[in-house]
Amino acid sequence: MSAVEVGAIAAGVGMLAGVAWLPPKATRVIGSIFGGALVFGVARGGLGVTGGVVAGALLAVLLARFGPNTVLRRVTFLLPSLLLLVFVTTLLMYHAPGSPFAGEKVATPQVEAALRAHFGIPKSAVEFFWIYVRRLVVDGSLGPSVKVQGRMVETLLRPALPVSIALGLLSLVLAAAFGLALGIRAGLKPNSAADYVATGLSAIGLSLPSFVIGAILIVIFSLKLGWLPVAGWGDLRHLVLPAVTLALPYAAYIARLARGGTIEVMSQDFIRTARAKGVPEAAVVLRHALKGAILPVVSYLGPAAAGIMTGSFVVETLFGIPGMGQWFVRGAINRDYSMVLGTALVYASLVTAFNLVVDLAYAWLDPRVRSDA
Amino acid sequence: MYRTLFGILSVFAAALLLVALTFSSTVEVPADLRIANGTEPKTLDPGIMTGIPEHAIGDALFEGLTRFDGNTLKQVPGVASSWELSPDGTLYTFKLRPDARWSDGHPVTASDFVYSWKRLLDPKVGSEYAYMLFPLELAEAYSTYAGHAASIGDRILPALASLEQSAPIDAKTWQAFVRDQHVNAPLRVLGDGALENLLARRTGSISAAELAAFARGLERGQSRLLAENAEARAHFGVDRGVMAPDEKTLVVKLRAPTPYFLQVLSHESSMPVPRWALEAHGDSWFLPGNIVSNGPFRLASWLVNDHIRLEKNPYYWGRSEVRLERVDMLSNDNMMTNVNLYLTGAIDLLPHSYYPQELAPELRKRSDFTQSPTLIVYFYRLNVTKKPLDDKRVRKALNLAIDRDSITKNVLGLGQKPAYTLVPPGIPGYVPPASATERNVAEARRLLAEAGFPDGKGFPRLGLLYNTNEDHKRIAEVVTDQWRRALGIDVTAYNQEWQSYLETTRAFKYDIARYGWGADYVDPNSFLDMFVTNGPNNQTGWSSALYDRLIQLAGDVSLLSRDPEPLLAQLREPEPIRELLHRIEVGAPAEGQRAREELRFRLLREAEAILVDDECPIIPVFFYTVGMLARPRVHGVAMQVRLADGSVLQNLQDRQPLRDIWVDGPHAERP
Amino acid sequence: MTTSTAPARAESPRARAWRRLRKNHLAGSGLVLVAGMALACFLLPSLLHLDPTTTHPALRHQAPSAAHWFGTDGLGRDYAARVLTGGQTSLLVGLVATLTCVVIGVFYGAVAGYYGGRVDEVMMRFVDFMYGVPYMFLVILIMLMFSESARGDPVPVFVALGLVEWLTMARVVRGQVLTLREREFVLAARLLGASDARVIARHIVPNVLGIVTVYATLTVPTVIILESFLSFLGLGLKLSWGQLVSEAVGVVNPVAVYWWLLAFPSFFLAVTLLCLNYVGDGLRDAVDPKGR
Repeated sequence: MSAVEVGAIAAGVGMLAGVAWLPPKATRVIGSIFGGALVFGVARGGLGVTGGVVAGALLAVLLARFGPNTVLRRVTFLLPSLLLLVFVTTLLMYHAPGSPFAGEKVATPQVEAALRAHFGIPKSAVEFFWIYVRRLVVDGSLGPSVKVQGRMVETLLRPALPVSIALGLLSLVLAAAFGLALGIRAGLKPNSAADYVATGLSAIGLSLPSFVIGAILIVIFSLKLGWLPVAGWGDLRHLVLPAVTLALPYAAYIARLARGGTIEVMSQDFIRTARAKGVPEAAVVLRHALKGAILPVVSYLGPAAAGIMTGSFVVETLFGIPGMGQWFVRGAINRDYSMVLGTALVYASLVTAFNLVVDLAYAWLDPRVRSDA
Repeated sequence: MYRTLFGILSVFAAALLLVALTFSSTVEVPADLRIANGTEPKTLDPGIMTGIPEHAIGDALFEGLTRFDGNTLKQVPGVASSWELSPDGTLYTFKLRPDARWSDGHPVTASDFVYSWKRLLDPKVGSEYAYMLFPLELAEAYSTYAGHAASIGDRILPALASLEQSAPIDAKTWQAFVRDQHVNAPLRVLGDGALENLLARRTGSISAAELAAFARGLERGQSRLLAENAEARAHFGVDRGVMAPDEKTLVVKLRAPTPYFLQVLSHESSMPVPRWALEAHGDSWFLPGNIVSNGPFRLASWLVNDHIRLEKNPYYWGRSEVRLERVDMLSNDNMMTNVNLYLTGAIDLLPHSYYPQELAPELRKRSDFTQSPTLIVYFYRLNVTKKPLDDKRVRKALNLAIDRDSITKNVLGLGQKPAYTLVPPGIPGYVPPASATERNVAEARRLLAEAGFPDGKGFPRLGLLYNTNEDHKRIAEVVTDQWRRALGIDVTAYNQEWQSYLETTRAFKYDIARYGWGADYVDPNSFLDMFVTNGPNNQTGWSSALYDRLIQLAGDVSLLSRDPEPLLAQLREPEPIRELLHRIEVGAPAEGQRAREELRFRLLREAEAILVDDECPIIPVFFYTVGMLARPRVHGVAMQVRLADGSVLQNLQDRQPLRDIWVDGPHAERP
Repeated sequence: MTTSTAPARAESPRARAWRRLRKNHLAGSGLVLVAGMALACFLLPSLLHLDPTTTHPALRHQAPSAAHWFGTDGLGRDYAARVLTGGQTSLLVGLVATLTCVVIGVFYGAVAGYYGGRVDEVMMRFVDFMYGVPYMFLVILIMLMFSESARGDPVPVFVALGLVEWLTMARVVRGQVLTLREREFVLAARLLGASDARVIARHIVPNVLGIVTVYATLTVPTVIILESFLSFLGLGLKLSWGQLVSEAVGVVNPVAVYWWLLAFPSFFLAVTLLCLNYVGDGLRDAVDPKGR
């Protein structure tokens, strides 16, 4: 690694640190500006430059006026961290052997130089970083893909993202429903037979890789019983097996969290009080156990949601689903630099967005947190 | 408080609604035929495409002057309805079909071909297949000479100058320099004997004076290359190489008779591209809505990572012969998924290389499975720049210790042929040389002991590199185990994904590496010219002056008649060659032509003997047999055809043109 | 309601945890099973002279029998030998990667928590940043960087997996340290003039080891699963449970019924992970019943 690269990383981390040092007022101003800029970047794809400016400005004003401090802090943090992310990922990619232009036949240096110039991928990582950032800021584009040519990365990701989100949402709902039910059931009577069965069931989801679970589901439900298609995308029936496969490990984890939360809440004094007052058991469970179970689950859901909705490579290739997950791995394997950065940016933004949502949901569910904020 | 519960339920409901909404898109008409097509195509530009999935689609969208016919497994007239060849075998005159049209109604003209071929050769376009047209007069000069000149000026001369500082240098340093700076590439086209002699120097040392003379020679060569490139730029496509005297006549001038040229014309790289679409849409000209094509099909839609929909091109001249209306080409690189799709009827055709080969012996038992040998060879490269692989005896020992029969019979199980030579069998007229590399463990151990490693003692731990793939892995594990047991040496099989693998082999950072090579055209030269000194796909570091000379002579056999004896003295079977030379000299023109053909194969055979029997920089393992699954309702996919005389013709390049396929009834509903 | 009432006499936290753990039969039997599994994987192959590499292509795809308890694979190798040897690498990768992540996570978290304030803020921002990086992809990039020199060596896999798994550990440790550093014994040590390094090493780290053990136990199965995904991508170890399972998934269908290829490694993998999860849960309940 050269001195320039090390220096740049240090500067990036310094920038992140700087955000931490900012006084609240400055955070408010900078956060609003960043938020507006981000919205402009996203919105101009659909609304054009003027629309983007309007949307960005509107959000900036709204943020400055009404945005809670926690939200503004996250937003202020987002922009420098995205920049750092692009830089670090670029370095990693350039240090990996191989190049996007290596093919079966050996290209002459002149041909390679022509291709590099054409795609804006010079031999130096730092130069590439500047070209990429300039294109991102000036054109609002994530750059051309080298491995699926003729298209920009954003045009490839745009149809893929809703596919992954749809699949992810369904899986998340399944995971939450099953996980909560199992977890609460187990947590109400810890170390009972019901607990062992519930934890055992959910643990299967954590004990086998999803490609094994998926393969077994395919053999049973598609090949033997013929109920569901083996792979593909197009109607709701295509969604069932991949959604279940994707949901299982999350359901297992949620069940485990919900169990812990339930145990904790049920040992509290107010439960004893409620029972003593003669509140029916069902009501106790519904009102209190549920809430105790949900709180830890909600804080887990943020990062989980980002992970699940940006797609899983394993599930998507196994079931032939044209989602985001395929691009993550394929970009890296094919050394499609712009694709790698594009997916990383989308992922990081989604993680932040979901964390924001979780912060807000948490505040709504737990009055203690709300009053703090 | 039921607010929590209500909140959760409403979030769930909203999520499910969103999911349902994304599915409200319109449903496509079912296709007549659905084909597994491997990984997502990188491009549909016929000049740029390199992979099998791309070629399957390119073949359907575009058509060259000739086309490969699925019924006869031969090249037949495509856009050209007829052609004439001059008696000396170098001038083709093609007549284009008056009714050949693009999918937007434009007629396909001779100038379309001139434009497309100049584009293919343009180094800025960066086509990996540009060399397919190098048989054309001035084509190579047009395509590469400016680049070679730049390499000499920008890279080689400065590096040479700094090398002169430390002169005299030893031969080893010199060879490393030659390899690192790719000095061969420009030198090969220059054909300067004095320069080549120094280049081949492998012993002793090289003085400053010699290096200086070499530099002067390169400078002369550089100006010559620039001059020839300028000439080619001015004349190629105008009055040299390829010409369009009128809209429906194309004249092609070759630099030497090229027996396989009609095959080149049916290859995707030589297919025409629509100039107006390229100019209007640039890089994205081949996307739906932009693309204009001249083949039997046109592009209807393209869902990335899902499928490409092709539909019959109503402007295609042979539209009455095209029986499929709509075809879906499915992108999925998970092989198991492909098998499952076929088993449930979601696809009708599962070509070779899209299913796990471990299943092939089982699939072979099915009645809907057909197979054919093809012109692909599987081999291991040995890095001869490294110890102990620089020792011929070690390389030969490795060759002899492999039990190829066990691999083809038990690991592959499709009736693949074990390979002891490089060129696959089946090329008409070519007889491969004898090669004494069949399994002989005693001999292998003797050679290894002679090389200083009795019972494998002291033999360093080597690595066997393969690109990530289950099938390569299985073969690598068997081979390393065979070596371990037969020779007592430790070779570790390890994998890298494709891009790393390419880098590693090109930089000579490997010991032993797997490779496969398929024919671009049916000719032994397609395999053998890979191993000329520093050839781009040689990548073993191996080099033999005699081998290089033989390959060069096979390109133009007339060079041999001048002073054949010194060369003949070095060959295994000089007598038949003398006889052929005599026949060429005294025979009638037609007789001479036949003798020249035969001589060419003789020379290639001598070259192959050096490669696979004497020197062994490679270990051939087996020749491919490919198998395909096709539903009974699909017709016209042929792995072989029975000719009128009762003989069987194999589909040696595994080409299945969509144009010649038809099906019974509509495709079953998607399950 | 089933949780026990607080004991009357004072009890050290460690003793209390141990008592709780012993009461948890599920975790106990899990621990025994994992230990048995590890012993079997590391001892049986050499005791029984099982050979995972010698190929007998003619004897490929043999169903389980007396000669080959788990049958043979597609190259005729003894599958029992392969499953057990694969277990060695799987368990090793779990252990080594977890150790890597413990070392990084504890050090990072302890420093951040101990110094607190701005240092903490900066360090935790970096952790937040790392959470935003898709981890699978980080693993792939790290593996690719090493792929040339590694030649099938497992170390890059260990490192890559350890490098992406330390984040949660750092967070948890930091949270504990934040409260620990306000405790009397830490303040006392500082007043007596102990250096920061000494305080962290002697007073802070030993007190977070309980929670670290819990998370480490839960990290092992995560790492083993991650390795199996890498195997699925062809980037994993040469011979591990993940590798065997992903190879087997390729041949599980109605065309060929080589069920043993999937069944045995899946069973071993699942039992090990299940037990590790139970042990981890048990430890957590024991060390910190309210923790999650």
